[in-house]
Amino acid sequence: MRQTSIQRRLIAAVVISQLLLAIGIVSVAVYFTRRQLRNAFDAGLHGRAMSVAALVRYSEDEHPTLIFEDDLVPPPLEKLHPDLYQVTTGDGHLLARSPNWPQDLQAIPKKDRQHTAFTVNDIRYRAVRLEKVPVLDREGDAPSTDVLTVTYAAPTDQMTRAVAHAGIYIAAGSGLLLLVTVGIAVWGLRRGLRPLAELAASAALVNASNWKLNPSEAALSTTELAPLTQAMTAMIEGLHRAFTQQREFLANAAHELKTPVAILKSTLQSLLQRPRAADEYRAGLEQALDDMARLEQLMHSMLRLARAEQWAAGSARRDLQTVEVSATCESAVERLAPVARERGITIHFVSNGPMPMRADADDLELVWSNLLENAIRFSPAGGNVQLRARSDGPRGYVEVEDNGPGIPLSELAHLFERFHRGDSSRARNTGGYGLGLAISKALIEAYGGTITPQSGPGQGTRMVVEVPLENSAVRS
Amino acid sequence: MRVLIIEDEARLAENIARSLRESAGYAVDVALDGEEGAFMAGSNPYDLVILDLMLPKLDGLSVLQRMRRGGSAVPVLVLTARDEKESIVALLNAGADDYVAKPFDLGELLARAKALIRRGKGQSAALLKVGDLEINTADLSVRRKGKLVSLTAMEYRVLEYLAHRPGAVIPKTELLEHLYDFNWERFSNVIEVYVSGLRRKLEDSGDTKLIHTLRGQGYMLRG
Repeated sequence: MRQTSIQRRLIAAVVISQLLLAIGIVSVAVYFTRRQLRNAFDAGLHGRAMSVAALVRYSEDEHPTLIFEDDLVPPPLEKLHPDLYQVTTGDGHLLARSPNWPQDLQAIPKKDRQHTAFTVNDIRYRAVRLEKVPVLDREGDAPSTDVLTVTYAAPTDQMTRAVAHAGIYIAAGSGLLLLVTVGIAVWGLRRGLRPLAELAASAALVNASNWKLNPSEAALSTTELAPLTQAMTAMIEGLHRAFTQQREFLANAAHELKTPVAILKSTLQSLLQRPRAADEYRAGLEQALDDMARLEQLMHSMLRLARAEQWAAGSARRDLQTVEVSATCESAVERLAPVARERGITIHFVSNGPMPMRADADDLELVWSNLLENAIRFSPAGGNVQLRARSDGPRGYVEVEDNGPGIPLSELAHLFERFHRGDSSRARNTGGYGLGLAISKALIEAYGGTITPQSGPGQGTRMVVEVPLENSAVRS
Repeated sequence: MRVLIIEDEARLAENIARSLRESAGYAVDVALDGEEGAFMAGSNPYDLVILDLMLPKLDGLSVLQRMRRGGSAVPVLVLTARDEKESIVALLNAGADDYVAKPFDLGELLARAKALIRRGKGQSAALLKVGDLEINTADLSVRRKGKLVSLTAMEYRVLEYLAHRPGAVIPKTELLEHLYDFNWERFSNVIEVYVSGLRRKLEDSGDTKLIHTLRGQGYMLRG
């Protein structure tokens, strides 16, 4: 993947925009200067043309004719390339012409505009042509009816140079400013991006033994970094929680495996302690197999819990089918009927109609079985366990209630912890490993439901499971 | 010797009990919860208590504290699934004598149990010597003057119990209490039968007398 740098990109953007701005400013300034200078030039040209026109007067004889007093011509603007002028009468008679008027230039080409530009001997000239200029000499009574056409041209070299100079100055100024602004931009960007580098450095300090992200003050107070910092903090906290959970699970699992392993080991070792008859060996091996089955059951439960939690966390989604909740309840009741009968406990099941739900039937049956098993375990001999399933709009409720001793408040908080066994429930001969409720909770939560215990000492226990029912079948 | 196992895992308790009965010849009682265990430990004379830590009703540490508060000096061997230093230190400070971590080796448990019983009675070696009599508590063999003597299980138990405290007068009731657990029908057993059997096997004509009967008081083993 190509590496890109925010800093470089931003600097490039600043440089390019500044460059464009400088070019724009220089262009506008040069254009404006050129216009101003040309206007001034044209005004001068006009004045000189008028003053040349003023040199025409009538001769002082009986038949006055127009004469031109060329000794009063104003000095040229430029010594090297003197100005050109030509005065003709209204009828086209040439009255006067500057001595340097080029031979090949008969007349300055007439255009719509007053001003024209032309080149003589590689010198650029700009000319003004004034037509119908009245003769100013009004001495005597003779009416002045003659009009003149005055053409006056001057070289534009100086003006061009002045424009170029102005352009160079402006460009140099802009260039200097460009350097300064780019410098400021680079400095500002570096400074502005420093919190990002600091954040990266503090993030690098987070590892399996240090789960605390300590963002620098600068990173915290930077508006743009705040979402990133928050997201990182939340992510690290989430990871830490998951990591701790995994570690605790592993520790708990290892711890819980010790007892079944100890049983199995002691069974085999006691079998080996002395020579025995074949029958005894056989009985011992069968015993070991039974112990093994319990170990297997524990491992199965642990894996089931791990899978349910993984699934609840959003991974490994399965294709679900629509199942009838009350049917899974019935299966669970059937499954536990022998255990209940053994203890003289009656399970009462009521349901108020169909409860379709998108789920895995085995999962639901396992949850109801776990809850029923606990209820049976806590119930006094000859007691009653109620299992109620009812739908209420888009939500379904399954309640398991016993009339046992209830759960003390201190126990209630730990009820769903893995490997937690309520003190009196630790009779291992019922096969409880303290995983049933943890598995049930993980499964129900994976389906988007909740499981809430309602209990108090001496009040019996009611576990309320709330699950989302399938939308299409929601009854009014 | 009579041992009490307080362990809620019935299968584990069963295995330990079987091993202690078969390999050490001890009388064994089992309690499946803390309450029962504490009660039994308080009402019967045991030579060793094997105590699990995680127990229903009353946890192992509380059972231990209750026993020690009641003045019981019986050696206590703790079974623990935890192996954190703190909990072990707390256990030993609360009056436990030794511990084994689950899953333990049955042979090791047995050896530790024997050692604790020995120590509780003032003996240091597994080989008990009384005069020219040698009792090996490791393999349950008995020799006199280097010659192997073959005893029945019950005869061995009586001899081993007497040999742990040589020179002390041990009443017949004490022998009854320490050699039988609840599973035995104690009325059908008569200590005198085993003592006379022991005398016949150990004391050949001409040998010095080992087991002395103090009428109305009990028995004494002396070399």
